Amino acid sequence: MRTYQMIAAGILAGFGMLLLQQCKGKPSTGSDAPRQTGFEFKNKLSDYGFFKGAIKELVPNSGVVRYELHTPLFTDYTVKDRFIVLPGDSQMHYVSRGPLQFPDATVIIKNFAYTNEQHQKVMIETRLLVKDPADHEWKVMNYLWNKEQTDAVKHITGARVPIRFLDDRQVPVSTIYQVPNTNDCKRCHTQEGALMPIGPKARNLNFSPAFLGSNQLADWVNRHMITGVPDVSTVEQLPAWNDAQHYTLEQRARAYLDVNCAHCHTRSGDAYNTGLFLEYEQKDPQALGILKSPVSAGGGAGGLNYDLVPGDATHSILAYRMSSTEPGTAMPELARTVIHKEGVKLIVDWINAMPKRTAK
Amino acid sequence: MNRIFKNNWYGLCILVLAVLVSCNGNTEKETQEAYIHELTFKPGEEARVLEALLTIRDSTSILLKAGLYKFDNLSIVKAKQVQLKGEGRDKTILDFSAQSQGGEGIRITDVTGFSISDMTIRDSRGDLLKINKSRDIVVRELNAIWKTSDSTSGGYAIYPVLCKKILVENCYAEGASDAGIYIGQSDSAVVRHCKAAKNVAGCEIENTTNAEVYNNEFYDNTAGFLVFDLPGLSQRGGHVKAYDNYLHDNNRINFAKAGSFGTSWGVGNAAPGSGIIILATSNVELYRNRVINNNSSAITIASGFAVGETPDKINDQYFPVSKHIRIYENTLEMGPAFPGPAALHHIGKLLMGIEQQLNQQDPGRKNKRIPLIMYDGISTNLLTKGTAANPDSICIAQAGDNLFVNADFLNIEKPALWKPSTDMAAFICK
Repeated sequence: MRTYQMIAAGILAGFGMLLLQQCKGKPSTGSDAPRQTGFEFKNKLSDYGFFKGAIKELVPNSGVVRYELHTPLFTDYTVKDRFIVLPGDSQMHYVSRGPLQFPDATVIIKNFAYTNEQHQKVMIETRLLVKDPADHEWKVMNYLWNKEQTDAVKHITGARVPIRFLDDRQVPVSTIYQVPNTNDCKRCHTQEGALMPIGPKARNLNFSPAFLGSNQLADWVNRHMITGVPDVSTVEQLPAWNDAQHYTLEQRARAYLDVNCAHCHTRSGDAYNTGLFLEYEQKDPQALGILKSPVSAGGGAGGLNYDLVPGDATHSILAYRMSSTEPGTAMPELARTVIHKEGVKLIVDWINAMPKRTAK
Repeated sequence: MNRIFKNNWYGLCILVLAVLVSCNGNTEKETQEAYIHELTFKPGEEARVLEALLTIRDSTSILLKAGLYKFDNLSIVKAKQVQLKGEGRDKTILDFSAQSQGGEGIRITDVTGFSISDMTIRDSRGDLLKINKSRDIVVRELNAIWKTSDSTSGGYAIYPVLCKKILVENCYAEGASDAGIYIGQSDSAVVRHCKAAKNVAGCEIENTTNAEVYNNEFYDNTAGFLVFDLPGLSQRGGHVKAYDNYLHDNNRINFAKAGSFGTSWGVGNAAPGSGIIILATSNVELYRNRVINNNSSAITIASGFAVGETPDKINDQYFPVSKHIRIYENTLEMGPAFPGPAALHHIGKLLMGIEQQLNQQDPGRKNKRIPLIMYDGISTNLLTKGTAANPDSICIAQAGDNLFVNADFLNIEKPALWKPSTDMAAFICK
């Protein structure tokens, strides 16, 4: 608890300093009404005191809560660690659809590492989302790990990091990993013009992660971290994209598209202009791309006529763009430099299993 | 507590200032506005430019001194009053050939009051300049260019989408594998004094309302100027005026990327040799344009049904039949023969077939060219089972001969029934 208070105090001190700075009358924004920012990101990841011992082990201090997602976003086969830090004894609030509601000063931590050929976990970057109490808006920051793996340093401009990693089948792959710049972060995390967390939605948290051994949402209820959760057995669950024992091909494919595409491909997201909306709950065949002509894909469509041709993945733009790493063609546009073979196979199988239908 | 109050007072002062600024500021006067933050960079400082854009504050003007800059990609997200300025179209050059990810060279999202001017941007892998969900946009004195005009080029050179109040003027777009200047799903746009050449489409207005396109020159593209509505998008287009433009010699091969099906959507449908194409949209006026030597069709009016859309796509955001089209006082001329690439294109072949059919039907035509204005003839009669000759208010007031053909597209694949007609009585403006 003591360590936790230290973290909280540190974060609060950060806000305080910023208020002070603002009082000196240093204009940071121009033309809008109250857009003062309260939170200032610290220079190094270690400055926050989130982890104890060797920081690269990511052993959380108390108050730093590990969590996992049933279906995660694919990011070049990286190994991800996720944590939530709630300030004081504040609580999250349950939301049935969309991300949970978080109290001010919440910090969400996501660490990205890869497994090298010696089977060691090598840290690349840590991303923070902080809900700023000054304006109740989420802010993003990226921390790039040093070569010595002793700390990560604030980094806004993005980076290209050459890595050689083992994929899910333990096959070594070389790539230039793209650390996003802060605007890249905003592209996926913006809904209706406001920055939002993407992962921590009730339905994607509602399962029993191996590290916990019991239902994660129920655990949070028991620990008084969250209010408003109905009987967990009644809460919707997003299928696990890779669990063919418990979920159908259709369920797994739709969960995969939801997590990997629908943060942009939704009416409130960055790809609103495309008319292609891939949320798990989406029912409209046109919105799902079924025999839908692309809008502004240009050459990215590979000369194909439809986003999705039932029964024919080879002629479906969706599968084509997932199978590319070319800028301007590759989808998702960001955070992927290698092809997710297992993800592509899932979507190809799903499309090919649909009853054949052709246009006209 | 005191501090917080002070803070709020400060915010209030800014608010007052903002009101003052917005009272005398509009897109026409934007250059006279003062910016609170002014930054200047020179070639070699690319990393600093990138950082400046990532940490952009409201009311910032950035000057890029003359010279060559090499970028992977640039972006600005969520800001107000941002100006990006060079020292001249031939002096400040931004090269994006090193683009390694993302869909475009420059990406502007959720900015109110954005202007970019006086520079060349070139050779991105995806689109060159995409402006998404923004308003009060000025793109001026900008060259947006790919050095090769083929399917390896990005789709759009200048590409505002889901925007409000856009001015594109004195720009030049070249080499786009879709459209050089493309305004999509926007409201209130002006494109004027621009040129576009060697693109598939010179300029395209798509699902956009209240657009004016005037005093432009679009030439040596596959098609000069398009007004399209596509289904399944955020809004219908319409209320588009194009006048005093010079659209000539658009006879280039359609180099939009074609796969095993051949592209039959969007700009892939533009036949080489097209001056203006109106597709599935409404309330369009074309007047005082010079449409010269676009040798497949000076003006095409078509319905979404002609390119494979189906009635189930009709909703509040889409209606496939072009309606309320007024065409008057244009200068329309066509060369003596179809351009070579027309024979390689699915719509080009149909246009060639129409010319042939008319001349077969009527030897009195003495092998004239296809008429200058090609109307596909697919009207709302198809949906209403009506029989009116011109139910969709197509109105033409043009002097001259061999002006019009109703191409009877519905029967084009049924030789026994197909009767394209040059009778334009019902289509002359009342």
